[in-house]
Amino acid sequence: MSAVVDGPILSVQGLRKNYGGVPALQGVDFDIARGEVCGLIGPNGSGKSTLFDCCTGLQKSDAGRVLLKGVDIGGWPMNRIAREGRLLRSFQKTVVFPTMNSEENLILAGQMARFPGIASTFSIGPASRARVKALRERAQELIEVSGLSRVAHLPAGNMSGGQQKLLQFASMLMPEPELVLLDEPLAGINPILIEKVIQCIESANKKFGITFLVIEHNTDVLMNLSHRVIVLHQGQKLADDTPEAIVRNPQVVEAYLGG
Amino acid sequence: MAITLDTPHAPSPRLPAVRWGAAGTALVALALAPLVLDSYYLHALIIAMIFLLPAHGLNLILGYTGMLSLAQGVFFGLGAYASALLSMHFGTPFVVNLFAAAGIAALIALPLGIPALRLRTTSFVMCTLGFVVIAQMVAKNWTDLTRGDMGLSGIARPKLAIPGLGDATIAITQIPHYFYLILAVALLATLAFVALIRSPAGRCMVAIRDNETLAESLGIPTWSYKLIVFMLSAAFAGLGGSLYAHYETVVSPLVFQMYYSNTILIIVLGGGVGRVPGAIIGSFLFVAVTEALRVTPELRMIIYGFVLLVLVFMFPQGIAPLLERATEWLSRLGGKTDANAEKQA
Repeated sequence: MSAVVDGPILSVQGLRKNYGGVPALQGVDFDIARGEVCGLIGPNGSGKSTLFDCCTGLQKSDAGRVLLKGVDIGGWPMNRIAREGRLLRSFQKTVVFPTMNSEENLILAGQMARFPGIASTFSIGPASRARVKALRERAQELIEVSGLSRVAHLPAGNMSGGQQKLLQFASMLMPEPELVLLDEPLAGINPILIEKVIQCIESANKKFGITFLVIEHNTDVLMNLSHRVIVLHQGQKLADDTPEAIVRNPQVVEAYLGG
Repeated sequence: MAITLDTPHAPSPRLPAVRWGAAGTALVALALAPLVLDSYYLHALIIAMIFLLPAHGLNLILGYTGMLSLAQGVFFGLGAYASALLSMHFGTPFVVNLFAAAGIAALIALPLGIPALRLRTTSFVMCTLGFVVIAQMVAKNWTDLTRGDMGLSGIARPKLAIPGLGDATIAITQIPHYFYLILAVALLATLAFVALIRSPAGRCMVAIRDNETLAESLGIPTWSYKLIVFMLSAAFAGLGGSLYAHYETVVSPLVFQMYYSNTILIIVLGGGVGRVPGAIIGSFLFVAVTEALRVTPELRMIIYGFVLLVLVFMFPQGIAPLLERATEWLSRLGGKTDANAEKQA
């Protein structure tokens, strides 16, 4: 993928999406700069998850463009966006591979970035084993950092919701992505785990320069975490500013934050 | 299904040794079978080993990739016809026919898989069922090629070249010869199957079975993998069909009956889907027992049906999990014995 190194890592231009005549996105525009942690907030049904779906290839937009590192990724399948574009996403409902343990989940997450093509994944030769060994080592590091060592041997489906959340987040980091879209990473987890997830995001952003776009309803935490916040309302961009300005924006207060 | 690429969670150090021990013992027992069993029972074991090949294919696509294909019987039949036609019209050697059957089945799976794999769950199942009906009709009506209901008979028995001895060959004519030939092919196919599921691609297959959207979001080209798996499963079935043709020396449109696809499905589900020993146990249990039950033709299918019912109610995950528990118990038992020996020392 020939990318524009300078300029925004993600540029969304006039994105529109309708579900059977009901508009979910009505011409949304914004840019995300490299190295940013950007929050994305809005009431339920404002189009946040649809926006993620359109940016990651899970759904096709009806109009508009998504430029990833300057390249129009319209029509790319989801796997290509993840593999070549190094854009990964989490889902609103935590999903892991339930029959695999943590290590297998993580190896799998990093596999396509490490192997040169599909054919090479069918090999069990020395080159393949060396790649898997390297993935296993990285997986073990991430298991330790995520605090999952105690439950690492369990099938991921037998782990608690919070542990699955941490595993999902660790999976996002496995293929060394450039941009990660997180859909409600803090939903349904206890305050200690919230702290842990926040630390992980901040550390990944600072240490590895990974850019994040985060949907989150826990606005207090999100405002502290984000450099910038975009607000969606009824499929349109309502505001795009610093967290301090967003909390004072009367339109945002009325539409989403409340009194 | 709580399985992970056949690697047990937190296995005891002795477990792999016990498993290899069990597999080795089973293999030695099979190798010695011609010395103690008569031709009838050897025939039953041969049929079981032939059916193991399409069962491996179905286990790959259903057990590891999560797609139920009823078309395994079609590819089994295609392999049988391909081998028969090559042998009759071109006089090609058995080994060439064997690989050609696998290749032809895989190649035919390609254009069938491209549209079929756009479908999901029940639609995909129905589509593969459609392939069975079409294959039956083609085999019956393309009489110039298949001789219709008369079928193809007089397929050459295998002859194997002896390496280093020029034109010298071994003619496979007796049941024990067939037994060892088919055992060798089944063993090699099983090793290839194990290599496949232990490869990184095997991990991708399990990922597709567990959650296709998540797999796709992590950069795995799921559709390409599904197509390759569909072709590989057809190749396994084609191998089985080739062995069947050269063993029976007759092929007719009956090989495309749903009975064959059903039998392959019962082998995999009954043995234990998504487990390597599952298809092996299933093939011996369901094919060899069915063949053995021919001694009571009136009760045969009733007993077979009863066995299926018992299996569904008592062991919904198949027989293989019972075997796994047994090996774990043996492993623990061995571990305790070792510990006691250490204490006494």
